[in-house]
Amino acid sequence: MSTNVHPKKYRSQSRNRAVSLSVTYTILIVLGIVWLIPLAWIVLSAFRCEFQPDGTFIGRVTSNFFPKAYGLKNFKDLFGATYYGVPNAFLKWILNTLLIAVIDCVISTFLVLSVAYCMSKLKFRMRKPFMNISMIIGLFPGFMSMIAIYFLLKSIGLTGNPSHPEYSVIGLILAYSAGAGLGFQIAKGFFDVIPNALVESAKLDGCTSFKIFRRIILPLAKPIIIYQALMSFTGPWMDFIFAKVIIGADNAAYWTVSVGLYSMLFGTHPDTNLFTQFAAGCVIVAIPIVTLFMFLQRYYVEGVTAGAVKG
Amino acid sequence: MKKLIAVLLIIAMSASMLVGCSGGSDGGNGGKQAKDDGVIRVWVGEESAEYYQKVCDEYIAAHSDFGYKIEVKGMDTGSVAGTITNDPTAAADIYTVAHDNIGKLASTQCAKPITDEALIAQVLADNPESYQKVIYSTLNDKQYLYGVPYISQALFLYYNKALVTEEQAKSFEGLQEAAKAAGTKAITVTGDDGYNMCFALLARKVSDKSTTVKIFEGADPVAGGAKGESNCQGDDTVAIIRWLQAYAADPNGFKWASSDGWDADLDKDNKGVLAVIGGAWHYNTAMSALGETNLGITMIPTFTLTAEAVDGLSGVAAGDVYRGGTFADCKCFMINAYSAAAKYAKEQELILYLSSKEVQNGSYLECMNVPAYLGAESFIKQCFDEGKVTESQYNLAAMQVSMSEWGIPQPFITGTLNTYYYSKNGPAVFRAMIDKTAYPTTGDQILSETESLEGIRRGLYLVEYLWMHGVAPKEFPASLPEKA
Amino acid sequence: MDSRKAIDSKTKKNLPGFLEPVGKAFSEFGKRFADGSLGTKLSHFIFGAGNFYHKQYIKGFLFLLLQAAILWFMIFCPSINGTPYGYKALLNLPLKNLSEGGDFDPVTGHFTAGSDCKLMILFGFVTIAVIIIYFMVWNMNIKSSFKADMDRKVGKKPTTFKEDLKELLDSKFHITMLTPTCIAATVFTILPTIFMIALAFTTYNDQDMNNLGTNLFHWNGLQNFRAVFTGEGSLGVEIKNRFMPVLGWTFIWAIFATTTCYFGGIILALLINKKDLKGKKFFRTIFILTIAIPQFISLLAVRNLLGEYGPVNAMLMNWGWIKSPIGFLGLNNGDSEILAKVMVIIVNMWVGIPYTMLMTSGILMNIPADLYEAARVDGTSTAKMFFKITMPYVFFITTPYLISSFIGNINSFNTIFLLTGGGPAYTGYQAGGTDLLVTWLYKVTIDQGSYNTGAVIGIFTFLITATITLVTYRRSKAYNEEDTFQ
Repeated sequence: MSTNVHPKKYRSQSRNRAVSLSVTYTILIVLGIVWLIPLAWIVLSAFRCEFQPDGTFIGRVTSNFFPKAYGLKNFKDLFGATYYGVPNAFLKWILNTLLIAVIDCVISTFLVLSVAYCMSKLKFRMRKPFMNISMIIGLFPGFMSMIAIYFLLKSIGLTGNPSHPEYSVIGLILAYSAGAGLGFQIAKGFFDVIPNALVESAKLDGCTSFKIFRRIILPLAKPIIIYQALMSFTGPWMDFIFAKVIIGADNAAYWTVSVGLYSMLFGTHPDTNLFTQFAAGCVIVAIPIVTLFMFLQRYYVEGVTAGAVKG
Repeated sequence: MKKLIAVLLIIAMSASMLVGCSGGSDGGNGGKQAKDDGVIRVWVGEESAEYYQKVCDEYIAAHSDFGYKIEVKGMDTGSVAGTITNDPTAAADIYTVAHDNIGKLASTQCAKPITDEALIAQVLADNPESYQKVIYSTLNDKQYLYGVPYISQALFLYYNKALVTEEQAKSFEGLQEAAKAAGTKAITVTGDDGYNMCFALLARKVSDKSTTVKIFEGADPVAGGAKGESNCQGDDTVAIIRWLQAYAADPNGFKWASSDGWDADLDKDNKGVLAVIGGAWHYNTAMSALGETNLGITMIPTFTLTAEAVDGLSGVAAGDVYRGGTFADCKCFMINAYSAAAKYAKEQELILYLSSKEVQNGSYLECMNVPAYLGAESFIKQCFDEGKVTESQYNLAAMQVSMSEWGIPQPFITGTLNTYYYSKNGPAVFRAMIDKTAYPTTGDQILSETESLEGIRRGLYLVEYLWMHGVAPKEFPASLPEKA
Repeated sequence: MDSRKAIDSKTKKNLPGFLEPVGKAFSEFGKRFADGSLGTKLSHFIFGAGNFYHKQYIKGFLFLLLQAAILWFMIFCPSINGTPYGYKALLNLPLKNLSEGGDFDPVTGHFTAGSDCKLMILFGFVTIAVIIIYFMVWNMNIKSSFKADMDRKVGKKPTTFKEDLKELLDSKFHITMLTPTCIAATVFTILPTIFMIALAFTTYNDQDMNNLGTNLFHWNGLQNFRAVFTGEGSLGVEIKNRFMPVLGWTFIWAIFATTTCYFGGIILALLINKKDLKGKKFFRTIFILTIAIPQFISLLAVRNLLGEYGPVNAMLMNWGWIKSPIGFLGLNNGDSEILAKVMVIIVNMWVGIPYTMLMTSGILMNIPADLYEAARVDGTSTAKMFFKITMPYVFFITTPYLISSFIGNINSFNTIFLLTGGGPAYTGYQAGGTDLLVTWLYKVTIDQGSYNTGAVIGIFTFLITATITLVTYRRSKAYNEEDTFQ
């Protein structure tokens, strides 16, 4: 280009570029630190092990950012403790959440994929009404129907069942995954990009719709399957309202881990002295989820972008 | 074909729903009771679940013909009444609530009356008259005993011994002086509801333990509709409000319950506040905030009315000493209305045992529950003399017994809620007065100028009206005369 | 995006007139009854009769079974907790002649149940749904028989059950695929939503019912909606005085939260994707952390960090900048409302910016390089290029995202609930200074048990989001050209 003609200008441009690059680095590093401070603080609090002079453990929020003493006491206490009359509650909550997450993940992913495929690649009479209804329902605040779902599950004995408190878990799985099919928009956006010609030619070869779905669409849909699975798997780890209402505030043995952690600070028996244990719990919950996200980042970005651009 | 399969699935779904229901209820007879599954479930306070499971196991071992398994579970007794009324079918067969919930639970038919004669006799023989007044309710125009008291409780003071002397902890002024020295607030409460506010509203003159405050006095919990008499507009109450306004405005005075939790305030490292008015159920948290060496327990302090507080009022004089008041409550066992009828006799038999003096005594020794029966203080003293409890554990019980002389049981009106506690926004009006802010009420009325005598009178009128009617008045009367 | 649009464009079908399909359906019914065989005629009364007539026994049996099941359901009225389904459920729907219950036998301890109004409404709706299903099946069964008639007429054999099943994997594959979602969503999403809407027209309010000592409630028409203007009812004052402020703040919040995160995210994406910048992946990972960590963890961390006894206040006090802790998040009485509002918007940037950054990164890379080259040759400044090229391009592509994130922010429960809990509180009200409609709805329903008031707030929230969606979304190309993408 014009570089040969104006060597001076080029040099000044490259200096400009170096300056702007170092400014960019500075900004990014400062922002990065701002972004990490709260997370770092939770991790530091999890390892905090301070005592009062008379030997009482300090578990509350303290004004010092960096702990004066480190230790694993919070983690030991967390796993050993009896919360709300449930021995080893934290471990139970984790296993319970894992169970719910896995089942919810399978059901939700299946429902979303099947609906998205129909909406994107099949032609039928009720298609547009279905899309409109799902959009309208999606505009109501989610937990407006929460109480009604509770009554409904209650009336079929899937929650608040005194002789079978464990049924609440089934109720929660239903509550999480039953409506999942209505959230098909992102996956549909992804399927829309798969060329119709591919489907048409398979049809000419005599493939049934089912075969097309299994042999052609599914293999191509790996990114969106992983995205949906990731979303529905992490959902139960993050939700603390729905789980509490459906499983029941008095059913601590079957809580999910987020309900348990949340109620340490805000439950019917909030105890601010449990803050460091709460932080330890957060670290334990966050590690697998963050790892999952980091590994599957590519798919996550793909899914988010598909949804956002398409709407 | 087409949608046939789809519809079939829907039908299958509905059918499974129907199957689910026929499991959950005994069909069309419309009975309230669930099926008898051979287990009696008991809800008690979280702190005592272990103890009661133990005594229940002992009971079954000793009575092999009892015929039921017993499962005890710890619940938050503060919120459990709400849990039960929301969904009584999911609640335990026998549950524990503070007595002020009895009216609510009985009137919404979440509870079954006590009919066993032996049990009724025990309740009447063991319990003070004040409790006997509040454990009855009506059903189909007949009066029934609903609650069986087994724990009594009152509010008292936790304070930080490291920064407050024993003498200073005896009065609000002393606490204020200590707070000034420490650069903190003097005193806080554990919540901003009507229960916590009683330290001011129910304060009594030390010389003769008198107050003009009446809450549903003479209300007959048994005869429907009689609300009794209430008074919240006495000059002493006005003076107390004014005194508390000044005390709350002082940088070293009263602090409202904090979002970080009262225990975070109390923590001596944080230096938020020096003392908190709380109950026995705050003991463990207070202990972990202050530690054994620094945790002091005493009666709710006294305060002295200032000249500004009594200005323009009659019947009160500057220098009058008042002690902060409390509610003297009992926790009761109740039977769930939805519990299977077949269990009814056995449930009452079990309650007879669980509310007996010996089990109550054990509950004190193991869970720090203050027994409800008459004459329990001699047992408490005896335990301390024999070295069975620590000094703070003894104080915890002894101070509650002492404080209960200064308190009344939380009152309630027959068939409805305790509108003192739950009256819509009664506590909020109270708070607005102390903060000297405005408070909007029904219609276009706004309670304002709460810093003036007139404003306080209007506020107290509003509080009293809320107690009596559950809702705010449409408008304030033109003038509010003094009320003795 | 562009490539998708380019794929064969069809003329958009006009929406058929409202009455047209109804009239068509009626004439079809008449025709089928008149022209059909004896079996088809019988099918109008006994399900599956036509199929038996055509020797399609399995299908006929299934139809008959369905009819029997539904009729049994309607006539024998199975009940749960004493509340019946079936025709009795329809009779119960007006919520008249309720019984308080409470007939008590002191000897046996037997206690009769009163009416359970919420189950009456719920079961009434379920029964209506079953009736709709009944007529759908009725129509299907006639259609199925008529089709067999036609097949016969042209000399074909009516389809066998096996052939029907095969259809479900091919031309009727959408039925197989959609059925699970239809059932699940009807039962767990649509029915509960309709039920909650219905509650807005009742007196279902725990406080009122407790005060009256009853567990019954009734229909009360539009009274709960009128409370917004008149202030009547138990939460009437609250609704009347706090509705407009909460609504206004919800909008302000949604606008600020959306725009700050949107532009912040784009700028961050530009910074990270700067040419020659090393460690792109490293920086990106840092910011993605906030997305990956559950919000109740990250937001509660911030809440405590900024709390009265948290490190931030301690630091400011140590530096001597402030004398007593600042209530950043309006958690205590007397804290500044403006400060709390500003703080939630700032903290929300911390949560939301990485999300936009992630999304726009890809779009930024796709901006045709020659656009920039051309501009550079013209000597356009970097800032100008950002406003003239980058922003229009990104904005064009992300319009749907912008709308959905605006609606998402209106319903942004977590941020407010976890950070401020709606504080600073207004004495005497549930709704505090930073409460959004959704958090208010939560407080009113879950904390107060005012289901009717909660439902009113929910309906208003829906009306707002629906209006925004209708106005913007339906006009957007993405929606209108939806068909052309395929």
